[in-house]
Amino acid sequence: MSMLRRREALWFYLFASPWIIGFVVFLLGPMIASVYISLTDWDSFTAPKWVGLDNYVRLLTDDPIFWKALWNTFYYAAVSVPLGLVIGLWLANLLNKGVRLRKLFRTLIYLPTLVPLVATAMIFKMVLAPSGPLNDALGLFGIPGPSWLLESVWVKPALILLSVWGAGGATVLLLAAMKGIPRELYEAAEVDGAGPVRQFWSITVPQLTPIIFFNLIMGLIGAFQVFSQVYILTKGGPDNASQTMVPLLFNEAFSFYHMGYASAISWLLFAVILVFTLIAFRTARRWVFYETEVK
Amino acid sequence: MAIDRTDLTRRGFLGMGVAAGIITLTACGSDSDKKSSGGGGGAADLVMTVWGGDTDKTTYQQRIDALVKKFPELKVKLQLIPGDGYAQKVQTMIAGGKGPDIMQVAENVNVYSSKNQIMPLDDLAKKAGLDLEQRFGSIGKIYSYQDKVYAIPDRSGAMIVYYNKGLFDAKGIKPPTADWTWDDALSAFKELTIPGKQWGYGGGGWWAQWWSFVYQNGGKIIDDAGKPAVATDEVIEALQWTGDLVFKHGVVPTPKQFADMGADVGADGAFANGKLAVNTTGFWGISGLAKSKIDWNIAPLWRGKEQAVTAFGSGLAISRTAKNPEAAFKAIEFLTSPEAQQKIIATGEDVPASIEVQKSNAFLKPAWMTKPVDMNVFAESSAFVYRAPFIPAWNEMQKAFDDGLADFWLGKKDARTSLTAIQKRLESIVKPAS
Amino acid sequence: MATALSTAAPGQHVRSTERVVRAKRSTPFSYATLIIVSAVLCVPLVFVISIALSSDQTVNANTFTIIPREFHWENFTRVFGTELPMQRFLLNSVIISAGAVAGQVLSSGLVGYAFARLRAPGKNALFIVVIATMMIPSQITMIPQFLLFKELGWVNTYLPLIVPNFFSNAFNVFLVRQFVSRLPSEIDEAAMVDGLGFFGIYRRIMLPMLAPVLIAIGIFTLTATWGDFMGPLIYLNDESKMPLALGVQYITSTSQALQAPPWNLVMVGSILLTLPMILVYYLGQRYLYEMDISGGSAGVK
Repeated sequence: MSMLRRREALWFYLFASPWIIGFVVFLLGPMIASVYISLTDWDSFTAPKWVGLDNYVRLLTDDPIFWKALWNTFYYAAVSVPLGLVIGLWLANLLNKGVRLRKLFRTLIYLPTLVPLVATAMIFKMVLAPSGPLNDALGLFGIPGPSWLLESVWVKPALILLSVWGAGGATVLLLAAMKGIPRELYEAAEVDGAGPVRQFWSITVPQLTPIIFFNLIMGLIGAFQVFSQVYILTKGGPDNASQTMVPLLFNEAFSFYHMGYASAISWLLFAVILVFTLIAFRTARRWVFYETEVK
Repeated sequence: MAIDRTDLTRRGFLGMGVAAGIITLTACGSDSDKKSSGGGGGAADLVMTVWGGDTDKTTYQQRIDALVKKFPELKVKLQLIPGDGYAQKVQTMIAGGKGPDIMQVAENVNVYSSKNQIMPLDDLAKKAGLDLEQRFGSIGKIYSYQDKVYAIPDRSGAMIVYYNKGLFDAKGIKPPTADWTWDDALSAFKELTIPGKQWGYGGGGWWAQWWSFVYQNGGKIIDDAGKPAVATDEVIEALQWTGDLVFKHGVVPTPKQFADMGADVGADGAFANGKLAVNTTGFWGISGLAKSKIDWNIAPLWRGKEQAVTAFGSGLAISRTAKNPEAAFKAIEFLTSPEAQQKIIATGEDVPASIEVQKSNAFLKPAWMTKPVDMNVFAESSAFVYRAPFIPAWNEMQKAFDDGLADFWLGKKDARTSLTAIQKRLESIVKPAS
Repeated sequence: MATALSTAAPGQHVRSTERVVRAKRSTPFSYATLIIVSAVLCVPLVFVISIALSSDQTVNANTFTIIPREFHWENFTRVFGTELPMQRFLLNSVIISAGAVAGQVLSSGLVGYAFARLRAPGKNALFIVVIATMMIPSQITMIPQFLLFKELGWVNTYLPLIVPNFFSNAFNVFLVRQFVSRLPSEIDEAAMVDGLGFFGIYRRIMLPMLAPVLIAIGIFTLTATWGDFMGPLIYLNDESKMPLALGVQYITSTSQALQAPPWNLVMVGSILLTLPMILVYYLGQRYLYEMDISGGSAGVK
C-alpha cells in the first residue's frame, strides 16, 4: 500500500470513528449483553438464573401467543408494505407533475407523519368507532362497516389503514429521485409516441427501482418492528388478534419483567427480519436497476 | 385498587409508557448505592411518587405540607405520574438507582416486593410503635408477602353501587340494597333499560366487578393452597351471569355500544352522562359526580349466595433505593395518621384507611357534598370485603384474563370454554408461594 | 458513469421556461386527485382542530364533530394555565432536539463522506455492518443501554437523549453516502491535486454541497426527537426536565376522576407540538426533495 493510500485509510477510519465508536458502545456491547440475558431467567432486580436455551425452546414449542404474534406481524408486513409503496409511488408521481401549489400539496400529504401519536391514536379510535365517520362514509356506498377495533378479523386491517394514512412519508425520497431522472429520457419517449402512462411504467418506475428497493427494505424492517400504533390503538387485543412481535416483547419485558424471555423474542425477531431482508436482496438482482457502481 | 378507572381507560394512551419500561434494568447491582442511613430520621430530602389526577395531587401535597410543618427537617418532593405509566416509571427509577423514597402501591404490591424493589417494614413499624391492626383494622396487613408487611395502608374503600335516583324513581323501583339478590338486580336492570338508549347496568367486565360476583357465588380465583381455581362451577356460573347481562338480557351496553359513546368512554363516563341506571365502582366517583347534573346516590353491592365485594385501596411503601428509610418511615407514619388522613376526605379524594377517620363526622358528612349521600355505605360494605389475591404474578394474571375473556365479552364464547382455557394458562403463570 | 446527471446542488434548477415534458404536465384530473387525497388525509387533522376548539361540556358529553362548530380559542391559553410547566416543557424540547440535530448533522456528514469517497481496507465489510444494523430492533439493546447510562450516572439528565446522536446512525450514514456518490468525483480529485487535505476537502468542498442532505437529516432528526416520548419517559424523572411530547401525555392526567380526560387541551398540546414541525417541514422541503440518493448500489452486492 502506498504512503498516500495508507494516509487515506487512516483518514477513513478517523472520519468513520464516530459511527464505529457508537456501534461498539451503543450497539455491539448491548447486543452481547442481550445474548447473555436471553439465556437467563431474569426479572432485572434479583440475580439472573442461567437457563440455557430454555427461553428459545419455550417460545418455539410452547407459546401459542408468540406464533400468533408472528403471524400477525407477517400479515401486517405483507399487506402494509406493498400497499404503502404503491400509494407512495402514486402520490409521488402526482406531486411530480407541474402542479401549482405543489409545496402545499406536498405538505398536506406529508402532514400525517408529523402529528404526534397521542393525537393520532385518539382520533383513530373515534374515526374507527362502530358508528364513527369511516363507517358513516362506507354507509354512503351501501357498505356496512365493521367494528374495526373490536373484531379480531378487522383489527389488523384497521392497523394497516393507519399505516396507509402515513404513506405520504415515503414520497420524500421517491420525489427526490424522480427529479433526478434525466428529462432526455422522457423527451425521447415522447418522440416515440409513448403516453404518460406508458412513460410512467417504462421510464419512471425502472429508474426509481433503487429507491423503491430501499423503501421496500426500510418498510419491511419498520413493519416487522411495528410498535406504537399497536400499543396505542389496540394494545394487541382483542385476544392478541393484533399482537405483533415488538409489543409482545415489550410486554414481556416491561409489564412482566421476563427480561430473558423478552431478549429471546428480540433475537428471534432479528432472525426473521434478517431472512426477509436477504430474500429481498436476492430478488433485487432481477428487478433493481443501478445506473452505476461505486467502488 | 386504587388506580381508578379513569386512569385505566387512559391506559391505552399512556400506554406507551410502558415503554418506559426500561425499567428494569436495574439489576441487582443497585446495592452499590450505599444507604446513608445514618440518624434514624434526621434531616432528609425525600421523593414521593403517586398516581392520579389533579385532586390526588392537591391532596397529597396538603398532607405533605402538614408533615413538613410538624417535622421541618423532612423535605418531601411530590411526583405525580399518570396512572398508566406509573409502575413502569417507578421501576425504571429504582432500576436507575434513583427510586422514590416513598411510593404509592396497590394490588400489584407483590410485583414489587417479590422482586426486592421495596423493603419490608415490620421492623421500622415496631420501632416506631405503630400498631397496624389498631390503626387500620382488618386491612392492616393487607400488603404482605411471605409474612412481611411491605406497605402501610393509606386509602381504602369497598366498591359501591351508584344508582341514578331519577331513573329509579321514574319507574317506581326501590333503590338497591345489600339484600338484593342477583335476580332482584336483574329484574330491576330490565325495567330500567330502553334498548339502544339507556341501560340498567354498566356491566361487570372489570376484574373488581366480576370477581365480586365470583366470591358471592362461593368461588375463588386463587384457592387456599395458592393454585388458580377459575374453571370451577362457581366461577363459571358467576361469569356467565355477568356476561348474560350483556348478550342475553341486553341490560348492559355491548363493547360496540360503549365504543360509540366516544374514545375511552366506559361505564363511569356513561353513568355520569345519565345513560346507565346503575354502575359499580370505587369512591372516586363521588367527588366527580358531585358536579354532575344527574340525581344519584350510593348503596352497598348486592349479594349472591353470600355477601362479597372487592375493596380498593393503596398503601405507601419504601423503595430499596431509599437513602434514609427511617426518615421515609417517619413520613409515612405521619401521612397515615388520622391527622393527615383527614385531608383525604376533606378534598373528596378517597376513603382514608384510618378507621378513626372513617367513623368521624368529617367523613360521614363531608363539607363539599351538596346532596345527601349515604356515606355509611363504606362502613357497611367493609363487613363483607373478600380478600383478593395480590400475587406476584398479578400483571400476568390480569393479562391472561384480558386475552382469554376477549371473545367472551364480545359474546362469541361461553364462560366455561373461556375459563377452562384461562385456567390452563394460569397454571403455568401462578406458582404457589413457596 | 451516469452519476453526474443529477447532482442536485441547490439552486441549480432554474430552467422553468423550458417546455414541460408530457409525463410531468398536470391535468385537471391530477388536480382533482390531489385535492381529494389531501382532503381525505386531512380529515383526522381537521378533527384534531375541532376537538381543540371545543368546550369542556362537549368533551364530557363526547359530542365532537369533525368540522369545528365552536371556537374556544381560550383553550390555547388555558393549556398554559394548568399545573404543568408547559413553557418549561417547550424549552426542554428545544434543548434536546437542538442537541440531537447538531450531533447527527456533524457526525453523519463526516461518516457518510468517508464511506462514499475514501478508500480503506475493510471499508466494504464495514458498510455491510452499517446496513445490517438497521435490521436490529432497538428493543434488543434498550435494556443493556439503560444499564450503561445508569453506570455513567446519566439517568435523569438530557445526556442519554443527546449524546448517542453524536455517533450518527446507519440510516443517515447511508443517506449521505448515497448522496455523495452522486456528486461528480472530479471536484474533489481536483482539490486533492491542489493539495487540500481530506479534512480540507470535506470542510471546504463537500460540506457546502452536502447542505441538502444534511438539512434533510436535520429535519428527520428534529421531527423524530421532537415527537419522541419513549426516551424521555425512560430517562427523565423530574417534571422540570421533561419535553413537550411527554408533557402532552401528562395533560391527560389533569382531569377529575370520572370525567373524560381534557381532550380539548390534549389536542391543543398536540397542535402546539405539531405546528413547529409543520413549519420546519414547509420551509425545509426544498432541500428534502433535492436529496436524490438513488445512485450507486445499495451497498450490498
